[in-house]
Amino acid sequence: MADSLAGLDTFPKLLAHHAKARGALPALREKSLGIWQTWSWKRFADEARAFACGLAAAGFKRGDHLAIVGDNRPRLYAAMCAAQCLGGIPVPMYQDAAAAEMAFPIQNAGVEFALAEDQEQVDKLLEILPQCPALKRIYYDDPRGMRHYKQPQLAPYDTLLEQGRAALARDPALLETEIAKGSGSDTAAMFFTSGTTGNPKGVVLTHHALIDRAAAAAELEGLSDRDIVIAYLPPAWIGQNIFSYAQPFVTGYCICCPESAETVMTDMREIGPTYYFAPPRVLEALLTQVSIRMEDAGAIKRGLYRYFMALAQRVGGAILDGRPVGAADRLLYRLGDLLVYGPLRNVLGMSRVRVAYTAGEAIGPDLFKFYRSIGINLKQLYGSTETSVFVCIQPNGQVRADTVGPAVKGVELKFTPQRELLIRSPGLFKEYYKNPQATLEAKDPEGWFHTGDAGYLDQEGHLKIIDRVKDVGTLADGTLFAPKYLENKLKFFPYVKEAVMFGHGRDRVCAFVNIDMEAVGSWAEKRNLPYSGYTDLASRDEVFELVRECVEKVNADLAAEPELAGSQISRFLILHKELDADDGELTRTRKVRRGAIGDKYRELVEALHDGRQVVHVETQVRYEDGRTGLTSADLKLRDAKIFSPAGAKKAA
Amino acid sequence: MSQRGNPIGEVILSVEGVSLAFGGVRALTDVSFEVREHEVRAIIGPNGAGKSSMLNVINGVYHPQQGTIRFLGQTYHDMDPHETALAGIARTFQNLALFKGMSVLENILTGRNLRMRANLLLQALRAGPALREEIEHRERVEHIIDFLEIQPWRKTPVGRLPYGLQKRVDLARALAMEPRVLLLDEPMAGMNLEEKQDMCRFILDVNDHFGTTIVLIEHDMGVVMDISDRVVVLDYGKKIGDGTPHEVRASQAVIDAYLGVSH
Amino acid sequence: MARNWPVVLLCAALLVGLALPLATGASPPGFYVEVLLGGLMTGVLYSLVAMGFALIFKASGVFNFAQGAMVLFAALAVARLAERMPLWAAILLGIVVMIALAFVIERVVLRPLVNQEGIALFMATLGVTFFLDGFGQTVWGSDIYKIDLGIAKEPVMVLQGLFQGGILINKEDVAAALVAVALVAVLALFFQKTATGRALRAVADDHQAAQSIGIPLNRMWVIVWSVAGIVALVAGVIWGSRLGVQFSVSLVALKALPVVILGGLTSVTGAIVGGLIIGVGEKMAEVFLGPVLVKTFDLAGGGIENWFAYVLALLFLLVRPQGLFGEKHIDRV
Repeated sequence: MADSLAGLDTFPKLLAHHAKARGALPALREKSLGIWQTWSWKRFADEARAFACGLAAAGFKRGDHLAIVGDNRPRLYAAMCAAQCLGGIPVPMYQDAAAAEMAFPIQNAGVEFALAEDQEQVDKLLEILPQCPALKRIYYDDPRGMRHYKQPQLAPYDTLLEQGRAALARDPALLETEIAKGSGSDTAAMFFTSGTTGNPKGVVLTHHALIDRAAAAAELEGLSDRDIVIAYLPPAWIGQNIFSYAQPFVTGYCICCPESAETVMTDMREIGPTYYFAPPRVLEALLTQVSIRMEDAGAIKRGLYRYFMALAQRVGGAILDGRPVGAADRLLYRLGDLLVYGPLRNVLGMSRVRVAYTAGEAIGPDLFKFYRSIGINLKQLYGSTETSVFVCIQPNGQVRADTVGPAVKGVELKFTPQRELLIRSPGLFKEYYKNPQATLEAKDPEGWFHTGDAGYLDQEGHLKIIDRVKDVGTLADGTLFAPKYLENKLKFFPYVKEAVMFGHGRDRVCAFVNIDMEAVGSWAEKRNLPYSGYTDLASRDEVFELVRECVEKVNADLAAEPELAGSQISRFLILHKELDADDGELTRTRKVRRGAIGDKYRELVEALHDGRQVVHVETQVRYEDGRTGLTSADLKLRDAKIFSPAGAKKAA
Repeated sequence: MSQRGNPIGEVILSVEGVSLAFGGVRALTDVSFEVREHEVRAIIGPNGAGKSSMLNVINGVYHPQQGTIRFLGQTYHDMDPHETALAGIARTFQNLALFKGMSVLENILTGRNLRMRANLLLQALRAGPALREEIEHRERVEHIIDFLEIQPWRKTPVGRLPYGLQKRVDLARALAMEPRVLLLDEPMAGMNLEEKQDMCRFILDVNDHFGTTIVLIEHDMGVVMDISDRVVVLDYGKKIGDGTPHEVRASQAVIDAYLGVSH
Repeated sequence: MARNWPVVLLCAALLVGLALPLATGASPPGFYVEVLLGGLMTGVLYSLVAMGFALIFKASGVFNFAQGAMVLFAALAVARLAERMPLWAAILLGIVVMIALAFVIERVVLRPLVNQEGIALFMATLGVTFFLDGFGQTVWGSDIYKIDLGIAKEPVMVLQGLFQGGILINKEDVAAALVAVALVAVLALFFQKTATGRALRAVADDHQAAQSIGIPLNRMWVIVWSVAGIVALVAGVIWGSRLGVQFSVSLVALKALPVVILGGLTSVTGAIVGGLIIGVGEKMAEVFLGPVLVKTFDLAGGGIENWFAYVLALLFLLVRPQGLFGEKHIDRV
């Protein structure tokens, strides 16, 4: 089903192509009033063209920005293409952003035209109007609650569409010339990325970059116009945008917009997407829902679920990868598919999923394996806004929990001596909008994009990301030390809530651990181990043993990785108190502040490194009412087994 | 309340000298007030003031010993709830009276019942007109589902919904009747703050969007004052105040009877 | 999950009792299946009558003692009308008569008594029972009448390969069972899929709310009594064709009482399941348990069939007062 897309170098040209090549096939579906309403490619193109003419009549010119604020709605996507028809640049914005957060992008891009989904978004735009004097027109899709708004800037989408239709009828050729003027090197869209510090940066992406990457990934996965995708993440996020705009424009597949955020699960079941994307947190939430339901199920169901999930853990991944599996297991798995996995995939709305991706953050290996074991082809990919997403993708049959796959066709990877990953790809961004300084820092004159991520390629050429470059350090002997990578690895164990690694400039790696009160608590209850609270539980020898097992499993894993085998965790302690943002130990988003913790517990860090067995500590804690108090305890320090890289196989 | 879709119009419902007693207990004594088209009219008062009795009189559940109700120019003494419903008065219930055995969708569809014309035989055969009618009604219901944002729960049995949502379904069912006047019996009772705010928004939206005249009983003074155009105050079955929220708040009789009593 | 152990035990005991004759070899399999089918057939009839009870109870809260009388009345009407016209016309006319009866009962009995105590309504239905019994005989006569469904009555031998001697099945019974199943299916569709069915369920759930959204209670009562009348007619016709239409039909219909107690007053499903349980149970008890009891205690003779259902219902009443499928709280009656 591969059309020749030669010469179709912009999205409007692609849309015109699909309207001709598959005009009657569904392009967009939206559940509205309980029924899936379908837009064919022809309808999509007609809508975009009419809206474009309306915009043009309202004074929208080549190079202008159209801010688009809202959820996944057919008309919002039509408006994106409408802006592009005129050589304009859609700027999708997060619908859940606060009004104040919207001001900067609108000022930065000099936005004059905006399309808001509904009253809620209009209210936010009106609120920042005083700071954004350039914003002169605000269109809205859903008229509900809007009739008392008298602001001169406001007009309904429908009105503009009607005006556009009239203009189009008068001069059908006008738009054609505008579309023909566009070329692949024009800016297609701008996405704002929220930096951890300072203002967000507007990432400028060209038609060529987006189309090239979308096509490369589509080719790899064999996507066609029979695929179906559900669009449920914010369209302002490049991840959603590439799956619900760039890729369908390249392949002609159909996008489905759920009725509301709460109905995504039901809508997925009805639609049966074949191509799916979810960040780890979504996958985690789905699994939690399933687990809760299973807890409530009857004894027989629960037993079946446990039995077959254990089987799936053992052989499910191998079957999916096409690796050899014993005949008996294969048969049992088939039975499990009938009784458990099939119904489970159905509940998740993933019965028809051929390809599913996860990305955005590190995914726990257990979570990742769960989906693969029940027969969902979940894979990891690596990319960012600046790279038009697709840098690395795990090919079918080469899926690992801890790497993100080899480079996609067209991408070059290299590493600085500090192990920073550099990327050169046709999908790279043009610049950060009106921010030459940042552009220069991120993209060197030879066209390499500095990702800020540290990693390496493993023996099979799969990219492994270990940490942010600024966090990566070295042990005294120069061995690579990636604290966050180690911390994450340890945190994937349910018993470990937080972990903090120390080792930069020292001769070995030592760890602070916070146990997960809930998980370890119930573990202790099952063993009739009485405890009075966190501090008590954290000082138990049994718990130390439990954590030691986790640490040693991490070490065994590390031993298998040549680059990291030298940075195994040699000693650890379980902290006597839970790390807390109120005590300055965590950020408000619950990330550990390694430096602050290292300073505060200097004594403990020293003790870990100099080999003491017990340390007495007193710590000031701040209570919720603002008072402070002291806690003191004798902390035990424990050694963990270090595996030699060669002996890794046996230990694992 | 400066902006609204439908300006307040003529008197649509008037209660004239209504007295109601159960045995020797006087629930209402000579109560009169008017409700104008498109307004939000509240009836407030302490517990046992006769608010619910008043609503039940308007709704036709109770027939007053004295006085009349005049609705759309027609005077009536002893209409039953079914007849008042036909006349264009819908209501919700303080202690939820949803049909627990049914889904959310079915509950709301029952609200369309009085507008269904196809006869039993056609329904049974799902023949042309009946099917077309069913689809038409379903569409109306879907608009209401959309309006009140209950899409995720269409097929859920109502009994399984949290309380606040059940209240919303109750409102949806009443709205499905396309009433001229909507009686709300303590729509915010038992809700948390967020649910209350949602409900306020929905009530105002209904009034604005559908132009429905709303008569509501409420315990929570703050809420009432925010959303009502005019307020009737009852105490021991007698009317002791009537006017805009501002006027009512300033009335000494009301302060003594209601506001003065710590709640 | 809380389990009601006495109920589980009682059900288990019933199942064991059901399996015992076969397991101990007391009965040849072919004969056993014949008894079982015979029991099921009677059960279907009990179910039909009980369904009428449950429908009316659910929709109007009235414990309709007259359901049995309605069966007799309908059967009499069809039998006598069929003497003057083809059977199908007699049945159609019979349906019209039952609907008319529903109108009359609503107008004369229910409407004046609305909002009265349940016991008053119950007494009223007692009155209706005697009226129907008497009035039926006045209008239609008091002899034994026959209804001929035009299906051959002689039994057929089936499954000879599977069981020694095969199984004797009455064609008419099979047809009757099919009709009963079809009726249940139609009713289920009616209640689930039509607007009126929805309204009826609404009324059953909450009278007050149903009225406030404009559902006319009176009309719903007429409809539900009509439906109950039609169900009674089907039961009456089937019964009449097997045993002849006579006064005893009204008595046999009283078996529906233990059935609804067992199945639950408010549940149509309960009525169906309860009917089958009692039908099979009493037949099995009569055929297999009876001889054992007679021999062991040297009794005079059978008759288990006559009291077994009531004992079973009593047992269920003790362990699960709301019946197998009933709702917890029954505040009327």
